Amino acid sequence: MSFDLALRATEVLLALAILQHSAEHLVAPMAERRLFIPRMALAVLVLAGVGAWAVWALWLWGLVILRRFDGPYNGGSDKMTLLVLTCVALVYLAPTPRWQEMALAYLAVQLTLSYFVSGWIKVINPTWRSGEALCDVFRYSAYPVSRNLRGFANWPGLLFVASWAVMGLELVFPLTLLHPNALIVGLALCALFHISNACFFGLNRFVWAWISAFPSLIWFQDRIL
Amino acid sequence: MFRTIGLLLPALIPSWRFFKTVAPSPRIHYRLDGGDWQPVRPRPQSVSFARMMRRMLWNPRRNEELFLVTLSERLVEAPNAFCVNEINARVARIVGAPRGASLQFRLTFITREEGQIVNYDLFQSEPWVLP
Repeated sequence: MSFDLALRATEVLLALAILQHSAEHLVAPMAERRLFIPRMALAVLVLAGVGAWAVWALWLWGLVILRRFDGPYNGGSDKMTLLVLTCVALVYLAPTPRWQEMALAYLAVQLTLSYFVSGWIKVINPTWRSGEALCDVFRYSAYPVSRNLRGFANWPGLLFVASWAVMGLELVFPLTLLHPNALIVGLALCALFHISNACFFGLNRFVWAWISAFPSLIWFQDRIL
Repeated sequence: MFRTIGLLLPALIPSWRFFKTVAPSPRIHYRLDGGDWQPVRPRPQSVSFARMMRRMLWNPRRNEELFLVTLSERLVEAPNAFCVNEINARVARIVGAPRGASLQFRLTFITREEGQIVNYDLFQSEPWVLP
C-alpha cells in the first residue's frame, strides 16, 4: 500500500469512527450536543478530503472535548482515536516526506504494541494464565452487557481456552509483520476480537477506533519488508 | 494548559495495559428524598444477537454507563467535585428525578478476596436538591 493511499484510508476510517462516536452524543443534553455537532461537521470535512486545516481543527476540538470530560469519555477508544488523529495531523505538519513517514510509522508501531503489550501483561499474570481473570470479568466486572452473559463464569474450561486464544493472538501479532498474508489474517482476527468485545461488553467504539489504524500498519509492513 | 497536556500525553504515549488485573468493579445506586437505594440502569436479563449487531453502530446508553464506571473509579481514587457533579447530573437524568427532589448516590465496589466475592461501599454523596 502506498503512503498516500494509507494516509487517505486512515483519514476516511478515522472520520467515520469520529462520526459514529459523536452521533451517540446527539441524544445527550443540549450542552453536550453543542460539543459534538461541530466535531461531526469537521469529521465530514476530513471525510471529504478538504485538507490539513480540517484535520488540525478536529484535533484541537478533540482537546476541548478531553477537557470537558476531564479525560477520555470512552477510555481506550478515545485515546486511540486521539492518537490516530495526532499522527495524521503530524503528517500534514511534517516538513519532509521522511518525517511524514515517521508520523504514520509511529501509529503503526503503537498499533502493534497495543496488542503485544496487552498480551504480555496478561500472560505474566497467573490469574490470566489459569483463566480465572476472564471468569471474574464475566462474574462481577461492570462489562457484560446482560445478566445472562454472567453465566459464562460457570464455564471455566471454555474461558481458559478463550483466555489463551486472546493472549496468543495478542502475543504473536508482531510476527504477522513478517508476511503480507499473515498480516491480513492477523488484522482480520483482531477485528473479530474487537467485534466480540463489542457484543459481550458493549465496547463498540473500540472496533472503529482500532480499525482506523489498520491501513498505517499495512503500509508500514510494505515499507519495511 | 498543563492540565490539557497531562490529559493528552496518555493518548500519545499509551501504556496499552488493558485488563492487567480485574479491578474492583463499581455499581452505582441512588435514592430520592432518603428513600430506598435503587440500582442505576440495571443490566437487562438478555440482549439479542440482532441488538448486539445494531449496537456496533449505535450504543449511547451503554457508552454513558461506561463513562459512569470511569467517573466512579476516578472519584474513589481522588475525590473531586467534577465527578460528583457529573454523576449527579447523569443519574438525575437517567432515573428521571423531578425538580426539587433530593438525590444521593452510593458507589459499591465488587471484588474477589480469598476466593470470595465481596462488596464495599466506598463513597456516598451528599444529598443534592435538583434545581
